Amino acid sequence: MNEQPLNLKRLHPTRHGRTAHGLLAALAIVALLLLLSVLLPLVWEALPALTAPFLWGKGQGAIGPEVLNTLSLVGGSELLSFPLALLVGLYRVEWVKSQGPLLRVFDQFATTMLSVPSIVIGLVVVDVAIARWHWPVSTMTGIVALALMNWPLSVAYVVEALQQIPGRYREGSWALGASRWQTVRYLILPLAWPQMVEQAGLATARLMGETAVLIYTAGVNAAVHWSLWGPGESLAVHLWLLRTEGVGQNAQAQAAATGVVLLAFVVLVLWGSKRMAQWLKNA
Amino acid sequence: MRADRWAQGIFQAAFGLFIAVWTVFLAVIAVGAWHFVVINGWITPLLSTHWSPLAGHYGMLAFILGSITVTALALILAAPWVLALAVAGGRILRGTMQQTFIQLLTVFVAVPSVIYGWWGLTIIVPLVRRLSGTSGFGPLSAGVVLALMIVPTFSIMALHAVRQVPSALVEGSLALGATDDQTLWHMVLPSAWPALAQAFLVAVGRALGETIAVQMVIGGQSRLTSLLKPSATLTSQLLTDLALMPPKTPGHDALDFMAIWLVLLMAVLVGLQYRMRRGLRG
Amino acid sequence: MVEKRLTKREGVSTILDIRVQELEVWYGPAKALENVSLHLEQGAVLALIGPSGCGKSTFLRVLNRMIDQVPTVRVKGSVHIGAFNVLDDDIDVTALRRTVGMVFQQPNPFPMTIFDNVAYGPRLAGVRSATKLRQIVEDSLKKSALWDEVRGKLRRSAMTLSGGQQQRLCMARALAVHPHVLLLDEPTASLDPVSTAKIEELIVQFKGRYTMVIVTHNLQQAARVSDLVAFFEQGHLVEMGPTHDIFTAPQERRTEEFLTGRFE
Repeated sequence: MNEQPLNLKRLHPTRHGRTAHGLLAALAIVALLLLLSVLLPLVWEALPALTAPFLWGKGQGAIGPEVLNTLSLVGGSELLSFPLALLVGLYRVEWVKSQGPLLRVFDQFATTMLSVPSIVIGLVVVDVAIARWHWPVSTMTGIVALALMNWPLSVAYVVEALQQIPGRYREGSWALGASRWQTVRYLILPLAWPQMVEQAGLATARLMGETAVLIYTAGVNAAVHWSLWGPGESLAVHLWLLRTEGVGQNAQAQAAATGVVLLAFVVLVLWGSKRMAQWLKNA
Repeated sequence: MRADRWAQGIFQAAFGLFIAVWTVFLAVIAVGAWHFVVINGWITPLLSTHWSPLAGHYGMLAFILGSITVTALALILAAPWVLALAVAGGRILRGTMQQTFIQLLTVFVAVPSVIYGWWGLTIIVPLVRRLSGTSGFGPLSAGVVLALMIVPTFSIMALHAVRQVPSALVEGSLALGATDDQTLWHMVLPSAWPALAQAFLVAVGRALGETIAVQMVIGGQSRLTSLLKPSATLTSQLLTDLALMPPKTPGHDALDFMAIWLVLLMAVLVGLQYRMRRGLRG
Repeated sequence: MVEKRLTKREGVSTILDIRVQELEVWYGPAKALENVSLHLEQGAVLALIGPSGCGKSTFLRVLNRMIDQVPTVRVKGSVHIGAFNVLDDDIDVTALRRTVGMVFQQPNPFPMTIFDNVAYGPRLAGVRSATKLRQIVEDSLKKSALWDEVRGKLRRSAMTLSGGQQQRLCMARALAVHPHVLLLDEPTASLDPVSTAKIEELIVQFKGRYTMVIVTHNLQQAARVSDLVAFFEQGHLVEMGPTHDIFTAPQERRTEEFLTGRFE
């Protein structure tokens, strides 16, 4: 029995006792197919409406204004909330020294705020900005609403990225006589950027698709001539409106096509942020 | 070090602003809710199902039950898929395959909820309509849409929970002659349990708070009689009634009252998560 | 599926000696072991020594097929324990691993009670009776000299034990599935001298009852506990022989250099 050919082979773990793993793997494949089944019909239904006049035209039904609104809403809110979140996160991790109960209260408070349903944020913005300050239903109001949503979320991932940097790095820097600010500026931030950028991409993608908070703040109308204080219907809201209240023979195809454009932007943002994070890591 | 003092000042100001903004945020809801409670009491609205705000009846029980039903349904429907995706991605796939798998799930996390709502309207509602002979709108459709929507988020968290089980424990189990399946049930999942429970709580929060996808397929009727009849959840009702009851109209305060319950629920869920995380360390 | 079982019951083999012939192991394109052949009598203690990364641990992990955990691994040759080739595709690895127990470098008690740690293996092997389980747990803890320290505390978490106690718990856990061979992967590397002495005492006690293969960085330890010593270097088995001979009169210059510390 020892004279078997001595050929190179892979070890095959016995199949015995792997039934559950097999079943779960099969289930996982079905789950992925189910998720894909959300996107495939969308693309299919969108095909008839994906025409040049729909995408770039200025006429009836063209989504050019919605694209512009979406970009300004998302861009404006990131511009407003990300720097603020970075400051809050840096202060939380790099300056607050105690590990006391107050810190835990803050953490729980911030986490609760990031879990607040978006429609509740919409409600408050309507109560304050529109009812009390008499802001118009506009891109600007939408930017504020989205920024409110994004702020605690961004604080959370900034804190996470900073906390992953080992404390001994900071001690090493302080031991060389660097101040707290110098340590943050020249050591901590360069190390934390890649992860923060990638997470920011995910957050931006989420803002792009956000609907509930924008319906009453940025509104359901779009103007051909863009202005900060003008109506600011986004792609997601446009899709929602077309699909729930849309009339006209082409409304369903247009809804799907809007969805495809929205999805394209989401994927673009994810891909772009990933590439940028890669680039920062190698720089 | 002037730069340091400046930096600290700016950071402190931002930190203070954060706390101030969100305190004001809570105060706005609380004041509205207070106005509502003074007139309507706080227990009657929660226990009555009679909702006709223009006539001054604010029974919210149907929405509360709607939220609970839809959330529970979504979690039950999502659970097996989440387990499968977590085990496949955390224990079966390795290396680049695993990274690709996680990337794919991340893309689905980023798919906007309005697109899941579109899918519900286009695929699920007609399907339910054909199978049951009803309109197709209702908690069942909402539960299905929500289930698929939370699967990516939930399973990425569950996947990481499964993956962070120390290999020393897995090897220890295998070395005693446990099969892979036995190791999964008796070692991997029990060890991942606290992190899985945390992922579950996050998923509950997402399901409870989701608005647009639910609103698109639940039908928007202020009652809950059957899984197949149009009804509403707290969030979907907030969305539709904000149009009917803009600020300064009677009944608007009822929306703040609903909102504060949602915020309180989230605070409880977050509190549970933190308690669990501390238990994990201690 | 019919699988060969490595149990005495089937009467094929009662003598569980270990015969390794022309064993080669690759991790992807990298060769980890080259042309290793050796023979180990039942009940003997073999110490594997050599510089880090020389293939000792790889060799150990082939014996109970824990090497399967590395996705890119490929092997050549044969490893017989008794009459069975461990590398056969149709070998029942769970039965193999019950026959060939393993203790790891870092004590890895499971995050459960002391009792459940020891009962883990027997339970999964199908022992249901509570009395029987209690008996197995007690016997195993006695064998690993932990019983007197944990008696009456079996419901406590294993994490409350000291490092040395945890390692002896891992020994007890391995013994609870009635193995014939014990693989010890630097079992005392993370322990203090007192705990180390206790583990070594156990190994000496177990001589004759279990066939043992122990990887160690500690040459004195190898000299104290083993009957045979095998010196590995860069995936090659350079020399193997009785412990006394190797330490007093090594045949190979490389071995001598390693033992006298003139190595590298």
